[in-house]
Amino acid sequence: MKEKLKTFIFAELIYHEDPASFGDEDNLLDAGLDSMGIMRLIMFAEKEFGVTLPDTEIEPDNVGSLNKLENWIKRSGQA
Amino acid sequence: MTDSADKLFNPADYFTFVLDQEIRDVGMPGGYCGFALQLAAEPDLQNLQTRLDLLVERFPQASAEIQRRGKRYAWVATGRAIPLERHQCQPDQNESEASQALLLDIFNRPESRPLTVHWIGGANGGTLLLIWLHPLLDARGGKILLDFLSSERPESFKESASLIAAKLAQWGFWKKLQLFFKAKRHNTEANSLDSCLPTAVEQGPQLLKLKVRRYDTDESQRIATLARQHTGLTGRTLYYLGCFMRAMELVGPPAAKDGYCIPYAFNLRRQNAPTPVFGNHIGCLFARATRDQVRDRKGLFAHLLSQHTQVVRDELDLAYLPLMWLGQWLAPAAYAKILRKQHSGGELSSLWFSDIGELSWGKKGFLGVAVTDLSLMCWMTLPPGLALLASQLDGKLILSYSYLSPAVDETWLDAVIAQMDLELLEGQSLDIAL
Repeated sequence: MKEKLKTFIFAELIYHEDPASFGDEDNLLDAGLDSMGIMRLIMFAEKEFGVTLPDTEIEPDNVGSLNKLENWIKRSGQA
Repeated sequence: MTDSADKLFNPADYFTFVLDQEIRDVGMPGGYCGFALQLAAEPDLQNLQTRLDLLVERFPQASAEIQRRGKRYAWVATGRAIPLERHQCQPDQNESEASQALLLDIFNRPESRPLTVHWIGGANGGTLLLIWLHPLLDARGGKILLDFLSSERPESFKESASLIAAKLAQWGFWKKLQLFFKAKRHNTEANSLDSCLPTAVEQGPQLLKLKVRRYDTDESQRIATLARQHTGLTGRTLYYLGCFMRAMELVGPPAAKDGYCIPYAFNLRRQNAPTPVFGNHIGCLFARATRDQVRDRKGLFAHLLSQHTQVVRDELDLAYLPLMWLGQWLAPAAYAKILRKQHSGGELSSLWFSDIGELSWGKKGFLGVAVTDLSLMCWMTLPPGLALLASQLDGKLILSYSYLSPAVDETWLDAVIAQMDLELLEGQSLDIAL
């Protein structure tokens, strides 16, 4: 899951000279993920993983890093 | 870029060209935008000229001219140099006021070149002014261009293809058609609410003027926190738009109608991408609210956020690309009518708006000189005669208001800006430097 998210993020949303060096705990918001990027990312995750990510839960604790994002998607899938 | 390699406008370039023509048609200079960087000292101006020469060599589009190609338009290289134009504030003048007056003199003069660069020298540093024609590049491209002029590795800057063309190429015919009709429905909806305007004036000679509000670090952080509370992680731009709608509503719109409609662009580049440099790589969305919705502060932000979220969920953020693609084959005047006019015949946009985001030159500064302040400006159609450009320099929020005078009443605008302060900071007392 994280690899798919990472590929999408660095292909479509954020420019990074070396995406491979971007860690699972590194801060996506500091790396440049902006408001439109977050919405696009959520759309991608919902389609790709068949979950619904509530708008009310869009916060740094859920989208701030690849690990946080993966946890949020997994939690939402179980709900 | 030779004759055989004319650079045809991409769909968003043409969109901005049409608005440029609307502005020129009423006797104003055209769709020009400007970045004014206040520098702590005079940079090496000879070095800057060398960089401008390199810019034309590497990117001939920088000094190209617009020519018609059948029903479409293209940039055609001229090979002309871009001379750094030097101006000087007189030592006996209030430097800040004199610099701004000079800057506006330059910005108001008739111009045909797509890109000009100016140094306005003062006793303590000065102002670097970059003026560009919108069909040539968007604001993010303007920042990349400044980075090119200042970079220790200018050879690392490379042009890349149009992102709009790349997106359109990804979609098959049916997908494009589906998006086209989505956008058309969205447009019809936008046109159904007559927009309040900052002026009732629609013609007459105008000068572009500028008011800049600068917020210190604490205020900027407070505004960011409030934006997060009201419009969530995805809605900083919506917070500015909502606050402005309320400021205008509470002061009283000079042309009062049913509600507010503010188009806002978003960047199709990946964030922090150093390319493409030239061309417009933007999509467009609309923030709309009735006057009743605007009067309810909490409800307004919830409405704008819900509207924005739904638009992205419905793929309307990308739906305008096929619409702009088809628009390329319309004559400027016919396209302008679609872009600007509502069903009632009134102007769609209550305001021109852009959130350029964080602009920082870090410790290295611009050509080694610290960037201490920033203002932005742009021409706009009349009506609305008013544009708000938001940016942040090293975390400090700067709101630049460009307006047409005498169309927009200065006293009214001062009241709106004061109310905007209250809206942004939820009524906390301010000590704002002008």
